[in-house]
Amino acid sequence: MKKFLYMSLAMALITGVLACGDDNEPKDMTPPEITDTGITCNPINCQVYHPGEVIPFRYVFEDNVELGNFNLEIHNNFDHHTHSTEGHDHEHEGSECEAHEQEHEEGEGHGEENAWVYNHSFSIPAGMKSYKASVDIPIPEDAAHGDYHFMIRLTDKAGWQQIKSVAIIIEEE
Amino acid sequence: MILNLMAAALLWVAAPDTIVELKDVTVTGNARRDYLMKSSQNSVQVNRDYMEQHFGGSLMQTLEGIPGVKAMSIGSGQSKPTIRGLGFNRMAVTEDGIKHEGQQWGNDHGLEIDQFAIDRAEVIKGPAALLYGSDAIGGVLNLYTNHLPTEPFQGSATLFTRTNNESLGASVKVGGLKDHFFYRANATLINYADYRVPTDSIQYYSYYIRLKDKRLRNTAGGEYDGSLMMGYAGYNFHADVRISDSYSRSGFFADAHGLEVRLSEIDYDHARRDVDLPYQWVNHMKVVSHTNWHGELWSLEGSLAWQNNQREEHAEPISHGYMPRPDGTMERRFNKNTLTAQLGMRRTIAEQHELKAGLNAEYQRNERSGWGFIIPDFRTASTGLYAIDRWTISENLIANAGLRYDFSHTNVEKYNDWYLTPVAPGDSVYKQRAGDICRSFNSLTWSAGLNYTTGGWVLKANLGKSFRVPIPKELAADGVNYHIFRYEQGNAGLDPEESYQLDAGICWGNSVLDIQVDPYVNYFPNYIYLSPTPQYVEGLQLYQYTQAKVFRWGVEAETTWHITPHWEAEMKGEYLYARQESGEKKGYTLPFSTPWSADAGGKYKFHWHGDGFVGLNVHLVGDQHEIVPPEKPTDGYWTLNLAAGKQFPLTDTTKLRVSVHADNLLNRRYYDHTSYYRLIDVPEPGFNMALMVGVDF
Repeated sequence: MKKFLYMSLAMALITGVLACGDDNEPKDMTPPEITDTGITCNPINCQVYHPGEVIPFRYVFEDNVELGNFNLEIHNNFDHHTHSTEGHDHEHEGSECEAHEQEHEEGEGHGEENAWVYNHSFSIPAGMKSYKASVDIPIPEDAAHGDYHFMIRLTDKAGWQQIKSVAIIIEEE
Repeated sequence: MILNLMAAALLWVAAPDTIVELKDVTVTGNARRDYLMKSSQNSVQVNRDYMEQHFGGSLMQTLEGIPGVKAMSIGSGQSKPTIRGLGFNRMAVTEDGIKHEGQQWGNDHGLEIDQFAIDRAEVIKGPAALLYGSDAIGGVLNLYTNHLPTEPFQGSATLFTRTNNESLGASVKVGGLKDHFFYRANATLINYADYRVPTDSIQYYSYYIRLKDKRLRNTAGGEYDGSLMMGYAGYNFHADVRISDSYSRSGFFADAHGLEVRLSEIDYDHARRDVDLPYQWVNHMKVVSHTNWHGELWSLEGSLAWQNNQREEHAEPISHGYMPRPDGTMERRFNKNTLTAQLGMRRTIAEQHELKAGLNAEYQRNERSGWGFIIPDFRTASTGLYAIDRWTISENLIANAGLRYDFSHTNVEKYNDWYLTPVAPGDSVYKQRAGDICRSFNSLTWSAGLNYTTGGWVLKANLGKSFRVPIPKELAADGVNYHIFRYEQGNAGLDPEESYQLDAGICWGNSVLDIQVDPYVNYFPNYIYLSPTPQYVEGLQLYQYTQAKVFRWGVEAETTWHITPHWEAEMKGEYLYARQESGEKKGYTLPFSTPWSADAGGKYKFHWHGDGFVGLNVHLVGDQHEIVPPEKPTDGYWTLNLAAGKQFPLTDTTKLRVSVHADNLLNRRYYDHTSYYRLIDVPEPGFNMALMVGVDF
């Protein structure tokens, strides 16, 4: 039995020595954040826009080490899938904008052919820990009206990602 | 996860110089030592009796008690194996010596093998490239379905159920041997409902999805398997042919499939046994023939196999990005054909040397269709040549060494989108997702080891190199992974992944106590890693295949104390450390890093109208804070589990078997860091009982 203990001790030592890499190198373990620190952020949930207008996108991005890139994507929600992250409304999943829930059953102008698709990625200058994002997004004149999802995706340099989803509405004037 | 292996050991660990009578086999004397001396690698063997007595609901759940082996749960009650934290294409699964070629690369594909047809399972921990070629880096799960019948007619019938997903199953096996000719046949049917988790809602995409009756909607499914084997078993000559088919159909958790968390028109909650969209079906057909011819000092063996693996994934068609709403529901279809040929010989020279040599060849073709793209069409051809010498220096000391050379060629065909993507005002293209890629790979692998025994000790050491040819997905993927919401990009310049591993086995035992410690050190100069980048492509985060140096070490330990002939106590545990030593993610661990775990259990064995046992076990798992993006840290947990089994002899040749397996008795809610569903915050199943009743005749 004693022999066994010595043996396992020796084995543990060997593996220990082989494994003694310095584990203390700092590595980024924190995802970036999408905030409204010091500004009035835009768009917010259930905001209404009209074709031909501009959506002034304003948010502040923050990270503990270095920000990566961001992507803004707008897609239709004509089939009412849910993924808004605004409000964390547990009672009402996804906190969709109620007034517009039933508006367009097979309605005119809601064909997916006219649905507006917007998808653009933007880079953030290197070395930034905080960045005020400002993008003016023109809504095409022929954009189909209805419910849309405005997705904000943000990475940091290490590859962590933060996602925020906002429900917006495009209405006819 | 229970006492699983507790008794596996026991079956061949029986105290020295005793005789254990099982139905068809007699294990004599130092069976454990003999098994340990058979190879310088660490392996664990589990026979059918054990698997039946410790039935945990699926083969992988039964095997999960082996330190170092885990069932990575992939939803729908299915799981896929990992050995020492390596799964997918970093371990190999074989059935009767032929490498199983299913959809092992995918996140949501199970074993695709009828677990009730299996007579014996063996887990090899550590590199096993010499015999199995590419992929056998973490280890090998060898499954055997080829035990010879001993009577003109014999068989068994089994019924089983699992409470968590209300699974019901039946399996029948028959076989016979007459005048050296034999046959075997079996059929298995399984049907299960949506599986339950101990929570009313899950958080995904940072908001809440409510669950009805704590069930993951649309995770029901079914499985139908059958096989037929015929052969001749002579004194010097054996030949057999086996045809098997395994079909399964199962739903995907409806709230976490597709590009968004969709609120579908489908009323998923109206029934819990139906399968709605999205779902998958898989059919694996296999024809295998073995021929063996042997004399006293030599043997020759040849095998041929054809495997056809078909898989379809269906989902509600929706438009996304520039992809218009597609026609039909078939998102993906794969049709994969694999032809395998193996030739092996063994020769004993001067009583001390056992020389083995062989040749393997494999040809594979995969064709895709459907509106979703993830991997392109491809063809691969590979061939390997090996020689191994096992030198019995003395009764107590055995050395072995081997060398293998592999050559393989991969041909990936280009793929373009079926829809247009605008690239400039007024200009749009059918975007190319995969280009034509032709790559050839060479690998020279080797292994050497020692076994030494003295007194109650068996000491093992093995040093080996293994490799893995990059799979077409790693070379050529270029598209959205709809299961994990990311954009994956292959790298046509990847080299074969190589791994060097030093393994040791320290075993000591007497009639009361058995102790086993298996430490290992593992180094990959070029581990293929799917690295999350800060870039965006088509609105999704870009993940790129890269290669990084990776260092890993770990240890498994197990001790069994035979307190009295009736009472037995067991403790076991495992630890694994992994770290990337180069590249973008230097300093981080690898994805799905296994946290440390420990088990303590007690078992009471009795003999009353047949053998029986009752065992209780505590399973303890540590926190996992070593993570890589996009993982979340996972807290530790413990569960209390119960297992019991009993045999009742009915007549001289028939017996009744009953086994009960109750997992998570306290219905605790916890997350498994190594589960695929951890990423979407689905907790592990709560209290679950598996019951099996069978008759052997």
